[in-house]
Amino acid sequence: MHIHFNDEPLQCPDNLTLAKLLEQLRLLKPGVALAINQTIVPREKWETHLLHDGDHILLFQAIAGG
Amino acid sequence: MNDTDFMRYSRQLLLEDIALEGQQKLLASKVLIVGLGGLGSPAALYLAAAGVGTLVLADDDSVHISNLQRQILFTSDDLEQPKSQVAQRHLQRLNPDIKLQVIGERLAGEVLNQAVKNTDLVLDCSDNMATRQAVNAACVAHNKPLISASAVGFGGQLMVLTPPWETGCYRCVWPDEHEPERNCRTAGIIGPVVGVMGTLQALEAIKLLSGMAPATGTLRLFDARQHSWRSLAMQKAANCPVCGGLDAHPL
Repeated sequence: MHIHFNDEPLQCPDNLTLAKLLEQLRLLKPGVALAINQTIVPREKWETHLLHDGDHILLFQAIAGG
Repeated sequence: MNDTDFMRYSRQLLLEDIALEGQQKLLASKVLIVGLGGLGSPAALYLAAAGVGTLVLADDDSVHISNLQRQILFTSDDLEQPKSQVAQRHLQRLNPDIKLQVIGERLAGEVLNQAVKNTDLVLDCSDNMATRQAVNAACVAHNKPLISASAVGFGGQLMVLTPPWETGCYRCVWPDEHEPERNCRTAGIIGPVVGVMGTLQALEAIKLLSGMAPATGTLRLFDARQHSWRSLAMQKAANCPVCGGLDAHPL
């Protein structure tokens, strides 16, 4: 299926969970949050949440400065 | 309100959304500002100017010359002096009619707990994840609205978090206390970026306190390079140790 990851097109297998995708991209690390189609998906759901064709995924880092 | 108040606040009294009723709510409000850096500077200036009746100014730091590029509360005359006390003096000159209280230490534990308990609204203008997590937990425990912002480099983040936490809390988005490697000291910051974020905290605070609908339930990401914003809908994490389960409120 086709998804968009941080605004770039990406081809990935069907029945892929968010956690598996991030593992494959080597981006599963602390201090990051993720939204699918402009809705934040809490970390506790990453293991089970299945991606869908056409999903727009945004992965971003915590900012704590000020 | 007296005649001076009517003149001082005349330009915001003109706004139908604020008017006399909203101004009186502002004057009766108490806001805790956690951190007097690049976010806290514009936030405190605007809230003092707008007539928020009591500001509690918390910071454990002194003014350093490297702060002056963005922390617009301070001048070159203030170097090495405690930020909270300099801020109190400066803000009192701006608006002699409001109350300014000072907490000259890093907010944690019982001092944080009491400060949050005794306020109407909290602005998190701090510079580290540990403080941000502790402030969020205290706000949820005491059911106090929290306006949280942060900035580094050319990026900023903003959340308005309000009881009953239907769209979650700070920890629902950031479940670990991992301290980001990039901060203003290590990765740099440009003044207006942190200024925009602190200014928006003041704006949302004025809206919330005067009775307007604040921009809740959304995490806003600011990209200053592109000058673009993303708005992301927040979701409560069912197992959030702070706002999620029955065992929440770990204070």
